[in-house]
Amino acid sequence: MNNNSTWEFGTRQVVYGAIGAALYGALSWFTNFLAIPAAGNISFRPAVAVLIFFGVAYGPIVGLLAGFIGNTIGDQASGYGFYWNWSLGNGLMGMVPGLISAAITDFKAQSQIIKAVGWGVLGIIVGMLFASLTEMFTSGIDLATAITGYFVPTLISNTVNVAILLPILMIAFAGMAARRGR
Amino acid sequence: MLVTWKYRPRDTFIQRLDPRTRFIVLLCTIFALTIPEIWDYRFMVPLFLFSLTQFLLARIEWKDIRRTLFFVFILVFFIIGLNGLLSGRGGPSAALDPTSPIIFQALIPGTDWGITITISKLWFAMTQVLRILAMALPAMALPYTLDPNIYGTAFKRMGVSDKVSFTMDLALRFLPTFSHDLTITVDAQRARGYEVEKLKGGVIEKIRKLAPLIIPVTMQSTVTGEEVIDAMDLRAFNTAPRTWLKELHYAPRDYFMIGLGVAIFLACCILKWGFGIGGFFVPDFFTKFILG
Repeated sequence: MNNNSTWEFGTRQVVYGAIGAALYGALSWFTNFLAIPAAGNISFRPAVAVLIFFGVAYGPIVGLLAGFIGNTIGDQASGYGFYWNWSLGNGLMGMVPGLISAAITDFKAQSQIIKAVGWGVLGIIVGMLFASLTEMFTSGIDLATAITGYFVPTLISNTVNVAILLPILMIAFAGMAARRGR
Repeated sequence: MLVTWKYRPRDTFIQRLDPRTRFIVLLCTIFALTIPEIWDYRFMVPLFLFSLTQFLLARIEWKDIRRTLFFVFILVFFIIGLNGLLSGRGGPSAALDPTSPIIFQALIPGTDWGITITISKLWFAMTQVLRILAMALPAMALPYTLDPNIYGTAFKRMGVSDKVSFTMDLALRFLPTFSHDLTITVDAQRARGYEVEKLKGGVIEKIRKLAPLIIPVTMQSTVTGEEVIDAMDLRAFNTAPRTWLKELHYAPRDYFMIGLGVAIFLACCILKWGFGIGGFFVPDFFTKFILG
């Protein structure tokens, strides 16, 4: 599953980056009906688990591209506009778990699933903290609002999504890869 | 269920602009306000009007944009505006001027804790709302006025690498395919008694119940990926610089708009850093108006 070096950027990364982005965009759009209570400006995205899965399975470049482009596509399809800091934050959220991709060799192993979820949560923290803190410069909000109004709701909702869906995705991927022999 | 783009071809000045021009002007507006930290209403009002003009020139139908406007206005007025009004933080320290006249105060008895609204904070909140709208309005118009098929080419022509630009292009091509896959999966699961419209339970239960939709589509997409990689490798992708089918050409109007955007950015930087103009202050007319 992971035959390439961590930072390689070739055809495989281009294709899976595009697939990850399209899936992230399409699934984000599809699940727009799930809103976070008390944080109406932030949507609840089960698709975050897919983004982190692409990072874990195919590396940091794929995670970065899928997050950045996928968020841009999702916002475009929903008609929200282009917010570079949230797109970049989503890119970081996919990139950080990608750093562990070379160490994930068995997608069914409990220890590796836990490791992937842990790096996924780290990715969420880095990516959403970046996006929330840059809102201080772009929107002029203060630190308390950035943390309580943006960072904490996204951290909680994305962590719940990843904790539930990422293990299922990894086990399904292991089964499918075994059948295909890739 | 197919993803429907908000974009519609319209014969407007904004849509006749080169997509690169749109991005450059948007960045110039954002950078003009944020890099030299402009808080002066004499800069803010013209910049807001510049953005509003672009937004209106896009001639987006009300029925298309009303939902987006509703969400953005809630965000801008209630979260950013109220934050500025109540805390006064997140901007220049002058907004917290302790000598500014108090117009409303509600403190917890026996403490200094509570809400204190000063003229300075009120002016700051109004400036803040105007500042955000000046940056958000051109960005909000993009999904409605920029053809999704031109994004890859536009980014390439703005200096982004072939591979990143092609990733963006490919992602937009994959989107209808995966949306179609999602439709088929939803239909197949419905045939088994799954009802996506009636997801019951708490948030965790709802997420768990989305797995029968998300997992098959994701796994199928990874299979598709291997086939696409083979096809691209056979066509020698990534062995030499690419050529792009779509061509973009600047017209005189593009040079005008880019020139205007760059001039706005430079003017803000020069006036702020060179002459010290552009910082936060409460104009006398506003203080007199509030205090009567």
